Amino acid sequence: MEGLVAGLGTGLTGLGYMLSPLLLVPFAALALPAARPLAREASRAIDAASGFALGSAMVLAVVMLVAQLAVVIARYAFGVAFTWMNDIVIYAFAAMFLLAAAGALRDDAHVRVDILRARFGPRTLAAIEMAGAYLFIFPVCVLILWAAAPMVSGAWSRLEGARESDGLPLLFLFKSLIPVFAALLMAQGLSEAIKAALALSGHPAGTPDPGGPRDLP
Amino acid sequence: MEIEAVLAIGMFAVAIAALMAGYPVALTLGGIALVFAVIGIALGVFPEPLLRAFATRIQGSMENPVLVAVPLFILMGVILERSRVAEDLLHIASRLLGQVRGGLGYAVVLVGALLAASTGIVGATVITMTLIALPTMLRQGYDVRLATGTIAAAGTLGQIIPPSIVLILLADAISNANQSASLSGDFGPSAVSVGDLFAGALIPGVLLVVIYLGYLAVVAIVRPETCPPLEAGGDEPPLPVREIALGLGAPLLLIVAVLGSILAGLASPTEASAIGAGGAIILAGLRLAREAGSRFAPLLVAGLVGAAGVIGLSNVADLRIARTEIGAGDWLAIGLAGLGALAFMASLAAGLVVLERTGRLRPALSSASKITSMVFVILIGASLFSLVLRGYGGDEMIEEVLRAVPGGKWGALAITMAVMFVLGFFLDFIEIVFVVVPLVAPPLILLGVDPVWLAILMALNLQTSFLTPPFGFALFYLRGSAPEGVETLDIWRGATPFICLQVLLIGIVAAIPSLATWLPGIAAR
Repeated sequence: MEGLVAGLGTGLTGLGYMLSPLLLVPFAALALPAARPLAREASRAIDAASGFALGSAMVLAVVMLVAQLAVVIARYAFGVAFTWMNDIVIYAFAAMFLLAAAGALRDDAHVRVDILRARFGPRTLAAIEMAGAYLFIFPVCVLILWAAAPMVSGAWSRLEGARESDGLPLLFLFKSLIPVFAALLMAQGLSEAIKAALALSGHPAGTPDPGGPRDLP
Repeated sequence: MEIEAVLAIGMFAVAIAALMAGYPVALTLGGIALVFAVIGIALGVFPEPLLRAFATRIQGSMENPVLVAVPLFILMGVILERSRVAEDLLHIASRLLGQVRGGLGYAVVLVGALLAASTGIVGATVITMTLIALPTMLRQGYDVRLATGTIAAAGTLGQIIPPSIVLILLADAISNANQSASLSGDFGPSAVSVGDLFAGALIPGVLLVVIYLGYLAVVAIVRPETCPPLEAGGDEPPLPVREIALGLGAPLLLIVAVLGSILAGLASPTEASAIGAGGAIILAGLRLAREAGSRFAPLLVAGLVGAAGVIGLSNVADLRIARTEIGAGDWLAIGLAGLGALAFMASLAAGLVVLERTGRLRPALSSASKITSMVFVILIGASLFSLVLRGYGGDEMIEEVLRAVPGGKWGALAITMAVMFVLGFFLDFIEIVFVVVPLVAPPLILLGVDPVWLAILMALNLQTSFLTPPFGFALFYLRGSAPEGVETLDIWRGATPFICLQVLLIGIVAAIPSLATWLPGIAAR
């Protein structure tokens, strides 16, 4: 069992390293016209994945509400409390905001200081998006992956259950939400960087590439 | 100066500058902090293991049961807003009060206070009221400045009137600060709960509403031409009582129930927020049932009856099922209560179905999920920022500065408030709560400032900051959704008298701390 888990961890880490050259795709899209259709496809696929995660977060919001109401009714009307029910609320809550983060980035729902933004031109705005992805999103997400790795692999090697006997025995999955959050956010950062690079290159993501195969009627 | 101090100050300065670029705040804060941590590691002045603690910090914010109230209150607010319950509220209030001189102004302030209580998000409240009330006010001949000022001020009430979400976050930050202060101080830790802050904010919040209303009344007497009443004998028929009861009474009842159960100590904020969100869904279902062409209305009402039945039964019978001997009468009551609970859950489901059929469920859930995520990603980014700042001893530096300020606790408090006021121009309440409060609150509490009083003053202060030109948030939102012909300068001039009223109230609460601390003391007992 432990060998399997360790193998899984090594495999995922290796996959991470293997995928890391993808972080250069925005620059490729900026410099090489040939790379643009592929970059656009990648960005679209990432956006869809973030949308799927956001959809899960929406379902979890309802789960959180129903579970919390059940906790309230059980406690106040019938005088009983179950740790596992409270755990469902907490798990759904954490998963909701962690899974929605990438979708929020895609839909520009993260707060910005917009005092100067109105004065920036579209090129400046695109350059800021690209710089932000490389300077802020990627390093912070790598930090989260690095910082969480010992904690998560430890949890998996023991298949860490609940702290209390009647809790939800899924603490290892709960902790795994942290790297999942970082990976989703990093992917969406990549997608945003691609969109910014396409805008900088004069072929924004919304407009089809002239002469590209997908424009043909 | 030591290298650590230079790096700590440099990190703050660079962060402020970088934020101006307009990249998402949460990621900018985290990114800048990481850059400075790496510089420190390279120079050998930053302990690398501290960065590992970041993961534990994230986990800490994931399993804090108090914070669960935040998404649930957001959900409640978003549902009320999207299902037009909020809109009805404003329409009915303005119809009822419109005949009076200045009546529309009163309606906006009162509805602002109520809506505030449900959303606590400045932007949402200001935009909703600008879109609905501003055109009506202008059509009726209100002075542009008075109208915009009233709306902006009423929109910011959401910060201070419980159950505002920023008060929940502030309570978390202040209670952590209080704990760390009591570790280094020699007084026993007295916990600061969300309920304490809600109770503490209630009197100042109500006072603020009263002051706003009083100001409007004075304007109506001194300059009657700025706020004419609705033409008497209008062509619209009088509002049916049923519509008033459903449109005004039901949301009012929900808000009173949620707030009352927290203040009375019956329910924790998290539990009350679930009741609020569930109730909002059922209300929205009732409001939209006809539109959806569904016959769910009886089921929705049955759910409310069921909930009332459970509450009633729990008062007359012993419903606890975890005991050894249960009498026949109690068994009957337990069975009935079970049916009531089922009916409530079924009506919740019916409310969700009605919302889905009218195309409002998914936008509402999506918006609530994204707002929640926005809040907590800021929490994550800000926690990295304060982690690194702590690594450089930034918290001790701030403590030294606050201790060195002349005038003891009052001097330190004044300087903190001034800095927060200016920060309020650039940063939202949430960022300030996560970044600034953990730094300044512990030394202030050690200097003898009451934590609840401090939190209420901070909330009032930031609320004023959001109203202050040229950077006030509320003014930006208003500007963005105001109809053509409303000049920015008018908005600024309109906000000015309300800023003076805010400053007046801050002065009053500063002079009489018991306005903030009396009710929490009562509620705790």
